[in-house]
Amino acid sequence: MQFLKTNRGRALAWLVTLLIGGLLVFGTQHDAALYRDPIMHVTQVTTGPSSKETDDFHNADTQTKQTLHGKILNGQYRGQSLTVTNTYSRSGAMDQRYRVGSQLFVVVHNHQGNHLTATAKDLKRDTPLIFMIWLVVGLLLLIMQFSGFMAFLSVAANGVLFLLAILLNGSTQGAQVLWIFGSLAVVFAALTLWLVLGANRQMLITLATTLGGTTIAILVALIVFHFTHEKGMFYESMQYVTQLPRPLFLAETLLGSLGAVMDESTDIISSLFALKRERPELSAMQVFKSGRQIGSTIMGPLINVLFFIFVADTFPMAMLYLKNGNSWGYTFSMNMSMGVVQSLISGIGIVLAVPLASFLASRFMEKKVRA
Amino acid sequence: MSTINVLGLVLLVLMILVGGKAGAQSFLALLLNFGLLFLAIVLVAFQFPPLIVTLVVGLLVLALTIFMSSGDDLSSTVAFIASAVVLVVLVLLIVPVEHWALVQGFGPEDSEDLEGLSVLVGVNFVQVTTATAILSTLGAIAEAAMAIAAGLSEILEQHPQVTLKSLLGDGIAVGKQIIGTTFNTLFFGFFGGFLALFIWFTGVHYSVGEILNDKIFVSEILMILFAMVSVILTVPITTWVMTRAVAGQRKRTAKQSSADK
Repeated sequence: MQFLKTNRGRALAWLVTLLIGGLLVFGTQHDAALYRDPIMHVTQVTTGPSSKETDDFHNADTQTKQTLHGKILNGQYRGQSLTVTNTYSRSGAMDQRYRVGSQLFVVVHNHQGNHLTATAKDLKRDTPLIFMIWLVVGLLLLIMQFSGFMAFLSVAANGVLFLLAILLNGSTQGAQVLWIFGSLAVVFAALTLWLVLGANRQMLITLATTLGGTTIAILVALIVFHFTHEKGMFYESMQYVTQLPRPLFLAETLLGSLGAVMDESTDIISSLFALKRERPELSAMQVFKSGRQIGSTIMGPLINVLFFIFVADTFPMAMLYLKNGNSWGYTFSMNMSMGVVQSLISGIGIVLAVPLASFLASRFMEKKVRA
Repeated sequence: MSTINVLGLVLLVLMILVGGKAGAQSFLALLLNFGLLFLAIVLVAFQFPPLIVTLVVGLLVLALTIFMSSGDDLSSTVAFIASAVVLVVLVLLIVPVEHWALVQGFGPEDSEDLEGLSVLVGVNFVQVTTATAILSTLGAIAEAAMAIAAGLSEILEQHPQVTLKSLLGDGIAVGKQIIGTTFNTLFFGFFGGFLALFIWFTGVHYSVGEILNDKIFVSEILMILFAMVSVILTVPITTWVMTRAVAGQRKRTAKQSSADK
């Protein structure tokens, strides 16, 4: 660990990351053998005629047929030549155009004789995925050095926990989703803050604020839900739902706001600790006031972060709704209303965390903070 | 009253109670941002080119978010210029990666939601998905740029004569504090949103290989990674813009003081 803090150590760590990442990206181009589904490498493409299509809403599009020639890279048909056809549209919402050099998954239907027939299933996408991960890790280490590594570590640790919780949720058929992800939120927050701040009083105060702010926000939301009878909320508009939507929605909101509330409380409380260190004569009331002031400048941008994450995601589907002749109001209800509710609940949590953080910090900070 | 209105009202009251005038302003910025986002969707539906709409709306969102929060003039201006630069760099990264990964539009998991909808609508979905990825990072870029600019302007206030070189170092130091917590905001924000999708994957027993190549999964993970890249880039870019601004200011005051003599 100490070695990583020297210049040579850093340069070496960076070079190693660069090299390993490069090898991984290169490797995904040649990892077909790891897959069970047959993968085809396209060596030649012939483009067929295009046809114009117009739907009921006067949307004009063109569809083009292409014939792909190539070789299978893995499995029992490895090395055999193959020809598949693919249809793509100009808009490409559900299809894609393949090019020479593309690798795609195919489904082989008929293998009587020595002529294979197959249909194109989907593009192989692991290379761009690994490339982007490599880019993020490389940039982190280059610019943030050691603390970049820690930031990445905490994200990775949380990712593993998240996966375990999903598996647990699956094994209980989703009946306990809110409990599982509620307790997960506590573990998440404790682990992350411990990695960022270490185990000390500051970390405990931050943890209490994070959990308190998020919990109160959810309670406020439940009270509002009760009195408005959830009017204007369309659970059926949630995507990919395979279990009871309401607890799932609350679990999503809980997790979504947790990070932002934690971000904010860390900022406020560490500024207040620094302030108290510099001017130990400040009274609890003065500390509370400066906490409120710091908090009120950062809460707006933070709510914005979550808003864009929750709502921008609905862009493609909302656009499709509009193009299919739906009104603006219906498009909003069916695509964006749940995201907006989520942003508002998170916003309430973020705002409530400001007085909570200021109060807890002013009250429970040691009288003299050791430098 | 609908739930959205009541929750919005609760938020507005809380923001005013906690932040006073600044709180009301932030709430207004939030409303306007929603309007801009919706406008972007409507414009693209009316066949305006998605990328240009996104760039214009993106700049407006950044300006709104940054200038409507309370901050001093120097740090707001620096934060805006820096975030605009990050936006442009990000577009240069997102466009080729989206064309490479082809994660546009919808996947097989969406088929139930797509029932009864025509998908051949003549809008380029690679560009729509690119626009989505760019829009989803806007909030994070603005927040990070503002935090770093504010941190640096506080340092400048306390040590007005700090050298440009040590200001660069300070920027990275401020960035280190911010990045860890911002990553958590992004991680939880996005994963909260994908919870249902991940539950779907385990429920339907996708293999690891299928998940890693799934259109929707790759598209969502790419969005997180783009957001992370943008936050990382915001640190050096904001610091650099700040040093340029300070250098310019010092030159001007130096000229003025020599003219005064």
